[in-house]
Amino acid sequence: MGLTDATCSVFDVQRFSIHDGPGIRTTVFLQGCAMRCAWCQNPEAFGHSHARTLSPQAVIDEVARDAVYYAMSGGGLTVSGGEPLLHLAPVRGLLQEAKERGLHTCVQTAGAVPEAHLAGVLDLVDLFQFDLKHMDSDRHRELTGVGTERIHANAGFLLRRGAPVHFRMPLIPGINDDGENLSAVAHFLAAHRTADLHIVPYHRLYLDKYRALGQLPRLVAPEPPTDEAIQRIVNQFQWRGVAVTIDG
Amino acid sequence: MSALHEKNASQKARLLNAEHWICLERARFYTDAHRETHGQHPSLRAAQALQRVFAQMTVRIEPDELLVGNRSSQLIAPPIAPERGDFTFIFGHLMEELKAFGYRISADDERYLHAELIPYWTGKTVRDAKIAAFRAHGLVSQLCLAPGEIHRKIKGFGVQGLLRLVADGPASGTRRAAVARLPRLLRAVRAGAGDNIKGRGRCTDTQAHIVLGHKNVLALGFSGIAAQAQARRAQVQTDAERGFLDAVLLSCEAMRAFSERFAAAARIEAAATGDPTRQAELWAIADTCTRVPWLPPQTFADAVQALWFTQNAAIISYGAGSGITPGRVDQLLWPYFSADLARGTLTRAHALRLLEELIIKLNNNVIIWPNIGGVQLNHLGSDVENITLGGVNADGEDATNALTFLFIEALINTKLATTASFRISEKSPADLVRKVVAIHRKTNSPAFLNDETAIAALVRDGYALEDARQYCLVGCVEPSGNGDTYGATGGSKVYFPTALDLVFNRGKTSFFGNQDGVDTGDPAAMTTFGEFLTAFYTQLQAQVGWVTQATNLRDAIWAEHFHNPLISGTIDGCIANARDMTAGGARYNFGAVGGGGLGTAVDSLAAIRTLVFDERALTMAELQDALAHDFRGREALRQRLLRAPRFGNDHEDVDELARDLVARFCAMVAACTTVSGGHFKASLISYGLNVYEGALEPATPDGRRAGMPLSNSMSPSNGAETRGPTAMLNSLTRIDHTHIGYGNSVNMRLPIGILRSDKGVESVAHLVRGYFAKGGFHLQFNAIDTATLRAAQARPAEYADLIVRVSGYSAYFTRLGRAIQDDLIGRTEFAAWA
Repeated sequence: MGLTDATCSVFDVQRFSIHDGPGIRTTVFLQGCAMRCAWCQNPEAFGHSHARTLSPQAVIDEVARDAVYYAMSGGGLTVSGGEPLLHLAPVRGLLQEAKERGLHTCVQTAGAVPEAHLAGVLDLVDLFQFDLKHMDSDRHRELTGVGTERIHANAGFLLRRGAPVHFRMPLIPGINDDGENLSAVAHFLAAHRTADLHIVPYHRLYLDKYRALGQLPRLVAPEPPTDEAIQRIVNQFQWRGVAVTIDG
Repeated sequence: MSALHEKNASQKARLLNAEHWICLERARFYTDAHRETHGQHPSLRAAQALQRVFAQMTVRIEPDELLVGNRSSQLIAPPIAPERGDFTFIFGHLMEELKAFGYRISADDERYLHAELIPYWTGKTVRDAKIAAFRAHGLVSQLCLAPGEIHRKIKGFGVQGLLRLVADGPASGTRRAAVARLPRLLRAVRAGAGDNIKGRGRCTDTQAHIVLGHKNVLALGFSGIAAQAQARRAQVQTDAERGFLDAVLLSCEAMRAFSERFAAAARIEAAATGDPTRQAELWAIADTCTRVPWLPPQTFADAVQALWFTQNAAIISYGAGSGITPGRVDQLLWPYFSADLARGTLTRAHALRLLEELIIKLNNNVIIWPNIGGVQLNHLGSDVENITLGGVNADGEDATNALTFLFIEALINTKLATTASFRISEKSPADLVRKVVAIHRKTNSPAFLNDETAIAALVRDGYALEDARQYCLVGCVEPSGNGDTYGATGGSKVYFPTALDLVFNRGKTSFFGNQDGVDTGDPAAMTTFGEFLTAFYTQLQAQVGWVTQATNLRDAIWAEHFHNPLISGTIDGCIANARDMTAGGARYNFGAVGGGGLGTAVDSLAAIRTLVFDERALTMAELQDALAHDFRGREALRQRLLRAPRFGNDHEDVDELARDLVARFCAMVAACTTVSGGHFKASLISYGLNVYEGALEPATPDGRRAGMPLSNSMSPSNGAETRGPTAMLNSLTRIDHTHIGYGNSVNMRLPIGILRSDKGVESVAHLVRGYFAKGGFHLQFNAIDTATLRAAQARPAEYADLIVRVSGYSAYFTRLGRAIQDDLIGRTEFAAWA
């Protein structure tokens, strides 16, 4: 069988992932991203050296090996990246294959993609995990290379279409944990009639990936947030009517 | 959550800080009686010996304790059963090592040991008779020290490797000291080789490993058991039967007298103490000990005392290292607990205090292993008194109760190395599984057992369904009947990698060097992998034949000479059959053969298939040569072997080798008959001996160096599995676990960080249930401590499978950079104490 549009560039398959959506999941990391976050934790998503090129069937064959564990826990497939919605055909191929085998599906996106890509997977996704990295568009551009306009428009699009969305905020000390940004996040959620937020505390465990790649992250790594600091943020959100779940 | 009761905290501290002693009271009084009862019925000899021990041994009531029943003259001193021969062997050859490990012995006991005890028992013990029988049947594999053989051993194991056999552990001291001890230790090795039967099998001196009939003691008291024996005595015809039943009667009376001694001691202490609270406690102890275990208990406190006292007395009767198992403690104690609560005569807090104390007492179980070199001579908490919790009842309904959860609290509060087996069925409440997983936030003691698989295995082995549903875990993970079975679940073993060694050396083992078995032909001349496998199974079949023959020879000695009417009286069937448990009196009778090193053997077979036969990347001759030289100068070849597909990665082709090996081994074992007429059952557990046993095993085709540990239990080799826990479990469930009648153990290390969040606990609980839904039998976790992570930094190759929780995903610890590892260690430690 020749390669098709739906062929996936997979740089990692992480079984027994438990913080990438409900239950026990297998997270498939797709190559490629249009953003360049200063703290990016998956630098192997750029370039092609690490990726395997696989058909959706081959990827889901591996994912489906843990079907019993998904059934026990309400888990399933999570597609991550990179930016998994950067190219529509591969992610759609994966999701279609997963759905055909009855798997719960989750897509992790930063939202900086054409609306058509979101529209193109709506019928196949049980849950979007949607990143809110920073609410200020200029600051967002500075940190990631793109502004928030399209991202926020896409969030609105998903919610209007009734898609299940979990908003996720990477919590990076000194970068996006100031009161102003937290307020902006809370306002954004309120405006979209959402009261839940998932927080992913920043960690430094990805640094040796850079070492292996012979690169350096743009951001000089801050200290990971302490448990107390995370609790303070949780409390601040609670005062603002937002219920927080910690992922990771 | 509660905290450990302060009186229990002081008892735990005393236990952990106590000196380890060798006390010969049990040995001495048993021997005195044995001298005087020559020629009598073996059950009567044992009963009189027991009577003497219980009447004369030191009776102690420790400060703060509510449950009484000690086993020797010191807080920590295992009861010594000289008739078995394992202790007298160790004391005779390895006293210096024991002392170096911190054991103390009084001058009087040491003199008695050498002047009287050892001389009296020499030639009379199970061990001596066993070795004589093995020799007579040509089953012993004595260390061959012919010049050519010595050269071959040095080549295959290396001088360092051979020295490590006798020079490990705290006793070793300097290298010079180790060398100086060498001649004495070599003598011990030669004497110890009585356990080593042909084909590198092992058959220890003890049997036991049974679930005590606590259910009968609680229901009837020893008075009721005595009444049954009395009634049966009127019906039986032979002197042998009457002798056994008289012995049961004597044993019951001995128990009553023993308990009365504690009542008297409590009264004396009560009169002496000035503390009114303690005085009331001591009076209560005195009252309790006049009632139980002679009469059936009426209250929860009496029931816990009866259970502990009976448990302790049984261990004295058999000697330490006997695997005497309390069984389903939450079920046994539940009627008393619920009745007392309903009457308002018991508080939950007081019940918890008693359970904590029971657990602390179950951890006073030091064992002395008959192994050379101190790799694992003794640890606090090694003679496993496994407690079984949860599971279904005889009707198949979930039997989890409030005591199950109270035991969880007691396990967390006591934080000791308690072996606790949680039976999980499809009907178990989700909350139970979650709470047991959450125990790992504090301690690593629980194991999960799958009711559906265990019960199916027991029914396959001949149990009635309602009896199978009452199963308890013996020793490590062996499912056995609840007080109705003579199980003898431990002690006899073969090693799968040895079958490879026998193929390569055409019927010899590398370490012992004798022509043990058949020559299955020149491996280099084999043209297909199937041919190699046939040779492998031919050798394994021979190993199983030798070890079961040896076990039957040993068991015949127990049946003829060394009865235990005290324990037998509690076991269903013995009174009705008027026969001791060693002579087939119990309702159910089995023998056991363990198989060791599955992962090592399967990885080796997979490497041979892939590299020698499929890819033709190396020849069998090259492989044999590399193994004989322990890969010296052949590191590139070893690396290729290490990269071959390995067991534990959800790889069908390799997993099928494991499935077939287990199925064929279990069938070979089950086809063998025991002396008491039952059949043998297989197990795949390593008791932690895989390190020691690996020391005698040459280099293996999986790239393992000579003398290195074998894979443990049924787990993949350390470092072999690299695709996460679900992949490892998928490999394991390709094996049919219901064939493995005496169970298997699967150990999984988990990062303690995963348990910080409720989602993590929930996910581990789902991992267990998913594994069980696919037919897995046993699963246990280790949440990892800092020491392990530090060791992983120092020796990354050995810890390649160590999983750490990063953030949202798992990573293999050794693949992370040093600084990040340090970061994680800090976090983990924080998490551990949070």
